[in-house]
Amino acid sequence: MRTTNQRSTLPVPPVAPDPWDDLVQEDRVHRRVYTDENIFAREMNNVFAATWVYVAHESEIPEPNDFKLAWLGTRDVIVTRDEESVVRVFSNRCSHRGASVCREQRGNASQFTCPYHGWRFDNRGQLFGIPGKNAYGPTFKARDMHLSRPAQVASYRGFVFATLNPDAPPLVKHLGNAARYMDAWIDYNGGAENLVLAGTQLFRLACNWKLIWDNAGDGYHVPFSHQSLLVMTHARYGGGDMTYFAEADRSKMSNSALDNGHTAIDQRAEMHAESAWQQQRPQPGREPYQDYVAATYGEQAKRVLDTTVGAGMNINIFPNLALIGNQVQVLQPTAVGETVMHWYATRRKDVDAQVNTMRLRTQEDFPVMGEMDDAANFEECQRGLFNHPEDEWVDMSRHYETGKDVAAEDGIIRGLVTTDLHMRNYYAQWKRLMQANPTLCLARGKL
Amino acid sequence: MNTATPSVAQERRYNHQPPSLYVVNAFYDWLVEVSADLAQAVVRDAAAVDAARRHAIAQLLAVESRLLDQGAGAHAAYEHWLTLYAEECAYWIPADSPAPDPRQTISLEFHDRRRLLDRVVRLGTGLAFSQLPASRTARQWSGLEVWSSPGRTDEWRARYSFTLVESRAGHSRVLAGWNGFVLRQIGDRLRIVLKQINLIDNQNPQGNNSFFL
Ligand code: FES
Ligand SMILES: [Fe+2]
Repeated sequence: MRTTNQRSTLPVPPVAPDPWDDLVQEDRVHRRVYTDENIFAREMNNVFAATWVYVAHESEIPEPNDFKLAWLGTRDVIVTRDEESVVRVFSNRCSHRGASVCREQRGNASQFTCPYHGWRFDNRGQLFGIPGKNAYGPTFKARDMHLSRPAQVASYRGFVFATLNPDAPPLVKHLGNAARYMDAWIDYNGGAENLVLAGTQLFRLACNWKLIWDNAGDGYHVPFSHQSLLVMTHARYGGGDMTYFAEADRSKMSNSALDNGHTAIDQRAEMHAESAWQQQRPQPGREPYQDYVAATYGEQAKRVLDTTVGAGMNINIFPNLALIGNQVQVLQPTAVGETVMHWYATRRKDVDAQVNTMRLRTQEDFPVMGEMDDAANFEECQRGLFNHPEDEWVDMSRHYETGKDVAAEDGIIRGLVTTDLHMRNYYAQWKRLMQANPTLCLARGKL
Repeated sequence: MNTATPSVAQERRYNHQPPSLYVVNAFYDWLVEVSADLAQAVVRDAAAVDAARRHAIAQLLAVESRLLDQGAGAHAAYEHWLTLYAEECAYWIPADSPAPDPRQTISLEFHDRRRLLDRVVRLGTGLAFSQLPASRTARQWSGLEVWSSPGRTDEWRARYSFTLVESRAGHSRVLAGWNGFVLRQIGDRLRIVLKQINLIDNQNPQGNNSFFL
C-alpha cells in the first residue's frame, strides 16, 4: 500500500468541556489560559501548528547545505537550504525510533546521519541509507520513512514560516495588512536582500508565552516597569530614549489592530520626530562613530545615525515573531509555564562595518537594562495566576470603553498607545484558532 | 560619578559623560587578539611573572569579585568596584565560545566605562525590578594563571575558572565558566582594562543576569 506524499492526520487532544467564550471574553481572559497544561497542549496544535509560525530567517542559512534547528512550538524541526538553494523544513525526529537526527544548532551539511542506528537522510529529509537493509521486508519497504514535513512552508521577504495545516490560507493572506508594516520595517533596514541576522541572545523565562506576547503591544507599562532606566537616563543625561512614554496617551504614537491577530505599535512620530539618534542612550564608541558618520556621509549623516538605532516600530506577527527596534524577537514555548525568548540582532549588507558595529552596541543596551525588568514582571504574573485559582481574571479592558479605538482611513483600527487593543485583537484570533478543529498534516512521501 | 575631568570645551561637545572615545576599530582589533590569547589551549610558563606581581594581581581579582558579592547589600560596593577598572575599560560577556568578534555578532553584554556607570546608577535607583529583591551572590574561583602581555612590561593577562552561586527570591542557581582579564599598571595603581566573562552555557538560554557577573 504505497502512497507517495502520504499524510497522517494528527490527533488533537480534546479539551471539549472548555467553553472558549467564557475563557476569552471581550475585555478579560481567564487565568487558566496561562496555567492549564491541557490548554497548552491544545495550543501546540491549534496555534503553533495550525497557523503560520515563524521558523527562520533566510540570512541564517545563506549558502547551499546550510542548516539550523528551529521549532514549531514544542516540535523540533531542521531548516535547510538544499543543493538547489530551496529552503526546506522537516522534523528533527528520526523516522526509525524518534531520536533527533541533528544535534547541532547550525552548520553546513549535505546529509544527516542519525546517531542511534545510523540511518542517513539528505538535507531535504529524504531517507537514503539504512545499515543492514536486508533485514527489512516488503511491508517496511512499502512505507514512507522520510523525515516528515510541515504541510506548508513559505517565505515572506526572507522570513520563513511553516504550518502543519494544509488548509491554512497562503502566507501573504495570513499576514494581511501586517505585511505593509513588515515592508516598512524591512525597507527601513535596507530591504530584504540586505538584512542579516547577527547572532542571538537567548533567555529562559518562567512564564507562559502569552505573558510575553501580551507585553509586545503594551504601551502602558513603560514609565512604570522601566522607571529605573528613565530615572537613570534623566539623572545622567537629562533625559532621552522612551521619555515620550511618560504621557503616552498624549503622544503621537499609535497602537494598531491588524489582520489575523497581528498588531503594531508605531513610535516613529515621537522617536523620529527630531532624531532617534539624539534620544538614544549612549553606546560604547558613540562619539567617534558620530564623527565618522558626519565625515563620511555628509548630508546623509542624520539618516545614517537614525537608522543605526531602531525602526521605531514594534510589529507583532502572531503568534511568535516580533520586530522590535532593529531586532527580531522569536518566542519558543517549551511548557505551560516556561518560554525561551530568542532575541536576534541584525546587521545590513549595504552599510559599512562601523554602522553595523554601532547597531550591535545599541542592541545590547536594552536586554540587560530593560528586558530583565519586564521578565521579572512576567514571572511574577505567572506566579500570581498559578497560585490564586479563585482570582480568575486577567484584565485587558484599557480603552475598551473610551471609544478611542477607531477605524482609520486605511480601515485599520487604531488606538492610543496605552490601549489593550493589542491583547483584545490577538486573543480574538487565539480564540478562533482554539475553537477550530484543524487538520494537521505531515508529509512523509518522496519528494 | 563622572570620572573624566571635562574641560569646558569638552562639556559643550559631549552630552554624555564620560565620552567613549576609545571604543574604536583599533580597540576592537586589540580585543579580538586578546580574546584569542586568553582562550588559547597552551601551557604557559608559570615562572615568567614574578611572585610579587602575581600576588598583586590575585589580590586585585579577589577584591573585584568580593565587591561584586557585596553589591547586593551595599550599593556603594559597586562604586568601589568601578574604581578598580581603568578609565578605558571593557566588560564583555560573549554569547558564544570561542568569543566571536563583537563587531560581527551580538554579545550577551558589552559595556564600556560609561555603560557600567549607567548600570550602577540604574541598580541604585531602587526601581530596577529585576533586582528587587537583589541577587545575593557567592563567587568561588581558582586556577589563576598570569602571564605578560606580549611586548609590554606594564600589562598582564590572567584567567581563572569560577562558579557563582546566586540566590534571589528564594531560588538559587549556579553560573559557571572562566573569566579572562587584562590588567595594566597605570600610575601607581594596577587596574583592570578588560574583564571577559565566558559562561559555559553562553550559547544557551540565560536567566536573570541583571546583576554584574
Ligand atoms: S532512531 Fe534514528 S536510526 Fe534508529
Ligand atoms: Fe518593556
